[in-house]
Amino acid sequence: MTSKETAKMTLAAGAATMAAAKAVAATDTTAIDKALETLKTYDWGADRNTLNPIDEAIIATHGDAAARKSLEKGLVNALAGGISRSAQDYVCRKLRVVGTDQSIKALAALLPDEKTSHIARYALGRIPDEKATATMRDALPKVSSKLKPGIIGSLGVRRDKKSINAISKLLGDSDIQVAQAAAYSLGLIGTSAAAKELSNFAKKAPANMKIPVADACLICAEQLLADGEKSEAVALYKELKGDDQPKHVKVAAMKGMLTAAAEN
Amino acid sequence: MANQKSKPTKDPGKSLGRRTFLKAAAGVVGLPYFIPASAMGQDGNTAPSDRIVMAGVGIGNMGSGDLGAYLGRSDVQYVAVSDVKKGVRESSINRVNEKYGNKDCKAYNDFREIMVRDDIDAVHCATPDHWHALVVIEACRNGKDIFCQKPETRTLREGRLMINAARRYGRVVSGGSQRVLEDYRGTVNPCWNGDKGIIKSINVNVGPFPTDCNLKGEPIPTGFDWDRWLGPAPWAPYHPYRCSGSYNINGTSWRSFKDYSGGGMTDWGAHHFGGATFAIDVRELEPEEVIFHNENGRKYATCRYPNGKLLHHNYPGRGNLDVEGSNEKGPSKPVPGYAGTGGISGDFIDCVKTRKRPFRDIEYAVHTATVCHLFLIAYELERSLKWDTVTQQFINDDEANRLVDVARREPWVL
Repeated sequence: MTSKETAKMTLAAGAATMAAAKAVAATDTTAIDKALETLKTYDWGADRNTLNPIDEAIIATHGDAAARKSLEKGLVNALAGGISRSAQDYVCRKLRVVGTDQSIKALAALLPDEKTSHIARYALGRIPDEKATATMRDALPKVSSKLKPGIIGSLGVRRDKKSINAISKLLGDSDIQVAQAAAYSLGLIGTSAAAKELSNFAKKAPANMKIPVADACLICAEQLLADGEKSEAVALYKELKGDDQPKHVKVAAMKGMLTAAAEN
Repeated sequence: MANQKSKPTKDPGKSLGRRTFLKAAAGVVGLPYFIPASAMGQDGNTAPSDRIVMAGVGIGNMGSGDLGAYLGRSDVQYVAVSDVKKGVRESSINRVNEKYGNKDCKAYNDFREIMVRDDIDAVHCATPDHWHALVVIEACRNGKDIFCQKPETRTLREGRLMINAARRYGRVVSGGSQRVLEDYRGTVNPCWNGDKGIIKSINVNVGPFPTDCNLKGEPIPTGFDWDRWLGPAPWAPYHPYRCSGSYNINGTSWRSFKDYSGGGMTDWGAHHFGGATFAIDVRELEPEEVIFHNENGRKYATCRYPNGKLLHHNYPGRGNLDVEGSNEKGPSKPVPGYAGTGGISGDFIDCVKTRKRPFRDIEYAVHTATVCHLFLIAYELERSLKWDTVTQQFINDDEANRLVDVARREPWVL
């Protein structure tokens, strides 16, 4: 197949999708309303197919901001209206795809609850809006130790610089899972400030945090290097090549330094 | 390898030589001092000090088969297993101990306890797919080589993280799928031999898609750590179909459900797409576009590689692994294969020794899984997508980018 044929194929496929979208959007409003109503009684064991009109509407409303906002509002209303855990689970999965700032308040309400915190992040973590990040950042000091690693992890994935202080304070947490999540996320954030916190903590890290902190430092150094902060990356690598580190960490640090040296 | 270790240890026993340690341990904890001659390398087999010390994570079903493959090797000393099912753990350590005639094999519910053991060189992983990235990366950061069953990733983002971890620590990380090399020679060889001429495209027919799971809860069986089985996936009530390791992908196994698998698209897709990308020699590449087609309700899709080669999924009228080439005789090149002996597991062990990259190096394996995920996302959104292979993001499609990864349930982070 030639590239011309491929391009033709792409255009044809795109046109068909657009046509299908308009068709579904135009005809299935009643079905969508019925599916949203179903959420009120939906629970584990219920027929998942009864919610299919919502799935189809997500595809159909792509590119139609007003229709999408209306669909999102229906999902948010369902979430705020007191539905089963299974229904909450479903709604959050859909808000992962269509959620905007309109959804954030309802999702934030789920964050402190051990039963729903993760599924709230399932949506919040993927909504590309600073308010979603801020919501998780604000929740961090308020949630239980059990929930903290998840929120820390989501903030790390988003490389939230504003969380560095709060996360750094958790490096020495008595809950090892909180401490390890903090180290890893600082590595993902990968800024000079994150590097400084990791470096400071590395000097006093307990035995069970040595590997997690070394790993986080290496990830942080890679990120710094990718962001053009070569000297800071090299400084971090140098701290990891001492004899107090396991061989594989020292080798990783040496490799990192060689990579940095090869960069102009 | 065992004789290459010079790591600081917390366990005083580990500062002793292996033979001295065995002797001391036998005296201290009542282990049998008698060690079979075969274990000492006096039957022509590899001496313990030269063996790869191995452990397994997720050792039911596929893991049980992998355990058997490694246990059968004279150059491997199998010492630990991890599984969330007590019964599986117990039967596995019995199997290992019976083989060696001792009681050295240890069982763990939490795989991380295996990863921090200084005496273990390599691990094999056959957990459900939603655990793969966490296990592989934990192994790498602890300096262990790892063989991971296919499909190696559950999300697009996991793939790059796994490759980075392997490269960062210089670990040997092999993906699974023995079929890529062993089952598709009829397709691969004509392509590499030049018989197909210039390759234009290949087609794979595979499925089904994964579905959501809303099964009602049932009592959790005794000895089954359900919370740990779920791990990073969203909480859900126990149901035997939700976690069954059955190979059926019809709603009666974890392979059917989105939270744990990409369905047939990744499960069999790892084989077929692995074979297809091998045949048309794009293992080192990722597609930069996935084109979604909907012709009167007949949906199919095509991945386009930077070199112009096309990988179709369910292309109308084409059979599985059907290759489209110019059909003029082209140049021939040698077909890559396994190192060592003993199939894909032997390839891994040989590479652990030589530090070469295995046949299913994690990069190739991830690229195969990436194809599967790109198709899945295009089908889910029902539109064509452009994939930036450098940033690992879809171009100008924020919605598709939301599907690149999932938030993990606490305490798991990635």
